[in-house]
Amino acid sequence: MAKNILIVDDSESIREVVGLALRSEGYNVTVGVDGADGLRLLLETPNINLIVSDLNMPNMDGIQFLKEVRKIDKYKYLPILILTTESQEQKKMEAKNAGATGWIIKPFVKEKLLAVVKKVIR
Amino acid sequence: MEEMKETYIQEANELLENLESSLLSLEDNPNDKSNIEQVFRVMHTLKGNSSMFGLTKIAEFVHDLETIYDKIRQGEMELSKEILNTTLASFDHLNQIIHDSELSEPKNQENHVSLIAQIHKFINKTGAENTNSKPSVTTTNVSVESGALKTFHIHFEPNEELFLDGSNPLFVIAELAALGKNIIVPHFKKVASIEEFVPTNCITYWDVYVETTVDKTDVQDVFVFVEGNSKIEITEIPFIDLIKNSAFNEVVLASIFKDLKTDVTSIQLLAESIGTKVTAVKKVEAVAATETKTENKEKVVSSIRVASDKLDELMNLVSELVTTQASLTLYNEKFETPELEIISENIEKLSRRLRDIAFGMTLVPINNMFSRFQRLVRDVSDMLGKEVQFVTEGGETELDKSIIETLTDPLMHIIRNSLDHGLETPEDRMFLGKPRKGTVKLKAFYSGISVYVQIIDDGKGIDAEIIRAKAISKGFLREEDVLTDKEIFDFIFYPGFSTAAVVTDISGRGVGMDVVKRNITDLKGTVSVESTVNVGTTLTIKLPLSLSIIDGLLVEIEKVNYIIPLSVVNKCYEVNNADMLHNFNKLLILEDKQVPYINIRQEFGYENLKEDEKSQLIVVSDGDHEVGISVDYIVGEYQAVVKPIGKYYKNQDFISGATILGDGSIALVMDTHKIVELYTEHVKMEAK
Repeated sequence: MAKNILIVDDSESIREVVGLALRSEGYNVTVGVDGADGLRLLLETPNINLIVSDLNMPNMDGIQFLKEVRKIDKYKYLPILILTTESQEQKKMEAKNAGATGWIIKPFVKEKLLAVVKKVIR
Repeated sequence: MEEMKETYIQEANELLENLESSLLSLEDNPNDKSNIEQVFRVMHTLKGNSSMFGLTKIAEFVHDLETIYDKIRQGEMELSKEILNTTLASFDHLNQIIHDSELSEPKNQENHVSLIAQIHKFINKTGAENTNSKPSVTTTNVSVESGALKTFHIHFEPNEELFLDGSNPLFVIAELAALGKNIIVPHFKKVASIEEFVPTNCITYWDVYVETTVDKTDVQDVFVFVEGNSKIEITEIPFIDLIKNSAFNEVVLASIFKDLKTDVTSIQLLAESIGTKVTAVKKVEAVAATETKTENKEKVVSSIRVASDKLDELMNLVSELVTTQASLTLYNEKFETPELEIISENIEKLSRRLRDIAFGMTLVPINNMFSRFQRLVRDVSDMLGKEVQFVTEGGETELDKSIIETLTDPLMHIIRNSLDHGLETPEDRMFLGKPRKGTVKLKAFYSGISVYVQIIDDGKGIDAEIIRAKAISKGFLREEDVLTDKEIFDFIFYPGFSTAAVVTDISGRGVGMDVVKRNITDLKGTVSVESTVNVGTTLTIKLPLSLSIIDGLLVEIEKVNYIIPLSVVNKCYEVNNADMLHNFNKLLILEDKQVPYINIRQEFGYENLKEDEKSQLIVVSDGDHEVGISVDYIVGEYQAVVKPIGKYYKNQDFISGATILGDGSIALVMDTHKIVELYTEHVKMEAK
């Protein structure tokens, strides 16, 4: 069964790039434009297996989004990867504490993205 | 990838537009935290996108710029006018280089270097010591050359709460296993008795032996998401062929069995207990999920991008639908079948709604353009040393996107003119008793089937006498001609007419206003000027709403069908022809009001009205006035799909198009404004 991945990013370019890479590996991809949208999609779409989310977004930022997702019982243990450009420990740790499973540092190449995704879902 | 690049550029443009408006409002309100956040966020997204597409020069540039705003939002730096100026200059530069990411143009290269220098000056001011203090990665001693086989012993004892961030230790183990030949020893010593067992805690830990060619850092990389609070010990064993060594295996296997022996039953029970636990949890989740679902129902309006040719196609189809629906209505009127009538009425209702929605889609609020001018006003007034307050009104007025795009340049020129020639310097204004700050107002509003855009300034105004003298000296006008002020002002739109005593580099050399007029005429619009010396100037642009389907009144004159746009029709009267024929000043008294009228039959050169018959008088509004137009019959209301008329008729302008009626015949769409204008000219000529 193909895995379902939810991409949450306010940048259309990133959504397209990430979506294309994941689709090419046979994943099903759903996209949301910000945290609030992502949360709605998460509740509307059954069987999301992984979330890939940006951190800086309008409406609801990535950290808040992570916290909200973790509040939902069903998704307490859902793998969530964050997209970040900051290689500083601080931002990564903040996300980790909010419940992120891992991170992908921008810029990335397709292989790197897929490797990280495979780290958290199989 | 090329297509992706287009998305990148499109998005970058949007981001930059967004950035500009945030920057400009920051200028008015430098302490607005949310604006600073917004600027930072936009820059951040732009940086991320640029680096994703390999545009490192842009990415690095934006990164530096972003650093400034990061400091500002952290309170480490103050937003100064200099910073804003540099940012705005950087914004201009970015606008250029998103199309020239390799800086192949020397000018871009030059700007790039000088702006980076400026930006770095700001960053370094706040002390360079706390920048770039990245934690240095400690490289471990690699005793064996990379590429060679070696064995690692890895002790992995996850934090009990590992599951809570969605991590799965088994994936880590699987990744380790993929590195090479291995022995994996799970330990269940910490598994508690069934009463105390918490299934959501991670209590298993592992010892892994793996023979691999990768380095220790690569092994560490496997744990990148789980390190921190998990216990991970990686020891390199400088021997190989251990995994297959029977003695080694014995030792390792012994440790496995030692654990399994003690805990094999509890593992069995553990599996069973998790099984039941999971289904119980699932039921609760289902309830929780439906609850949250209802909470999240109210949603922000989101938008998608649609190719404009698809929209055009949609419009065409809607037009066809409207025409077909007209045939259906006509057919129904002929046969009067009640069932058919219901269907036909429903289709009419639906196609009308569909039409409104389809047309609504191509319209965008003029505000998008207005905000762009804010920047222009700021820069130009700075350069001229004038103080200006820029006011916009009616930004929500919607116009076709293509019209807005074509309108930008003419408006920009007009605003430049107002700032340069219209407004006085602060000193002069004080002297005249005017407020120090001049005002330029941009105003948009609907009227009938038109949209008006006005540029109003409170500057020195245009002196009709000066224009007149100039027009005479240029040979556009004779000394003895008598003209109204309005007609005189029209000279500023003549090619080669410029009154500026000194030509500045802000507003051009008299090549501007005629081009402005031509641009607006191309959009089927008109432009006019009103001005009072020392009070100000108002420039009015009138544009047609780009609707190709209009609600009209279908009328008949000499067996020819005409459509009068319903939006200009005020009222219809039945009048005696005799009243119009024997009328000295061409005014009819209707409801105690004097209304001028046009005898269309006479104007169009048909046989004149018959004495003893009656005509219908359609009273239409024309600007601030009302004018009656006489027609033979009123057929009814009609939804007209307006098509352009052939190019042989392009020089007449009182008919703005034609439409096909339900029975296949043709009706001409009247432009009442032009008809009135032509009639007025005609009357004037006669008077002369």
